[in-house]
Amino acid sequence: MWTVSDDALVAGLASGDRDAASAFVRRFQRRVYGLARTIVADDRAAEDIAQEAFVRAWKHAGAYDPRRGSVVGWLLTITRNLAIDAVRVRRPVAFDPVALLGLETPSADRDLAELAELSDDTTRLRAALVKLPEEQRRAIAMAGLLGYTAREVGEIEGIPLGTAKTRIRTALIRLRAVLVEESTE
Amino acid sequence: MSVLTCTEVRELAPELALGILGGAERAEVVLHVNGCARCQAYVSELTEAADAIPQLVPEHEPPAGFEDRVLHALDEGRRRSRRRWVASIAAAAAVAAIFSITIVRVVESDDTSNVASGPTATSTSAGPVKPVAVAMQGGPNDTPAGWAYVANGHGVAVSISYSVSSAVPSGNYGIQVTPRKGAPTTIGTMTIDATRGSWTGRSPEALGAGSRIALVDAAGHEVCHGTVPAAE
Repeated sequence: MWTVSDDALVAGLASGDRDAASAFVRRFQRRVYGLARTIVADDRAAEDIAQEAFVRAWKHAGAYDPRRGSVVGWLLTITRNLAIDAVRVRRPVAFDPVALLGLETPSADRDLAELAELSDDTTRLRAALVKLPEEQRRAIAMAGLLGYTAREVGEIEGIPLGTAKTRIRTALIRLRAVLVEESTE
Repeated sequence: MSVLTCTEVRELAPELALGILGGAERAEVVLHVNGCARCQAYVSELTEAADAIPQLVPEHEPPAGFEDRVLHALDEGRRRSRRRWVASIAAAAAVAAIFSITIVRVVESDDTSNVASGPTATSTSAGPVKPVAVAMQGGPNDTPAGWAYVANGHGVAVSISYSVSSAVPSGNYGIQVTPRKGAPTTIGTMTIDATRGSWTGRSPEALGAGSRIALVDAAGHEVCHGTVPAAE
């Protein structure tokens, strides 16, 4: 079956094509809403954020540069930033960063179902995250998903700032190594 | 020029890539990275990994009708941007018209030698007064809700733009102004739709520093407000 590429949908979105906009929303709405809901833990706020993310994407579609990253990465970064802004004024929110990333249940059935839908990058990153020490996994989830600074991670975890920075740095470098490894294979 | 070494920048690069590095540290690192191809490549790789983290979050089906609501918001945005375009042309035309009228008056007075000191020239050469910006905030945590502007004490423009609309639902709101030593007066109504809305008009009472501007709902409750600061 013929499928329009993500890049082509963004180009259509930028040109004001309503059909392209509709296809763009249909393709990404579950991921955008899922991310917003995961970060803000509130269905109503998540819907507002997801809607605003699509409006922002439409406004900036003309400036999207495929050389700087995938469409889904670009769109989810917009969503994440909006959700983090919302969470900042709602803190403290009870959360488990590891659970947020769906890493807590190594169920074979679920893994198989999810793996079938995930890109290689995502699969490898998930595998790399699972292999990280628990404290690094928490630190990178807090920083990379919820936007906590190293200082905030330190306060939440009850560890010195330097230790928080090291955990975040080590975890991201390991994830980066996975992606670099793949691109050189 | 950046005072950080490549080693120091690489220590901080993960936080830059994750978007959690703030203030002066961020500025220093960015300055270095902009002038160092190797560090730039390193940050780029880390950013790729950082951007992939949100992609690990499980998908979730949005509520029914979500797609229609988004498309409606996009249609509204398109209409609004067209209106803004028309409005900016109209504003430019109005400025040009005022300028033309001023020139015509000066020419009609046939007294070019006195232009700089004559009463007509004094009133026009002063130019438009810079509007005073009023930060509007609303919601349970007083989050930023947009801006209002006051020009010459009476001209009022309100522009509401939420990144998250949950603070104020879509609907019609009264624009209430309260001079520092006066009673509240409603000077108009505005509609907030799909997180945005704007209004322009006049206040019969002069709004100086300390005056309040608020949006009130049908029940008379304030949903967002701001206080006019002292002019610069």
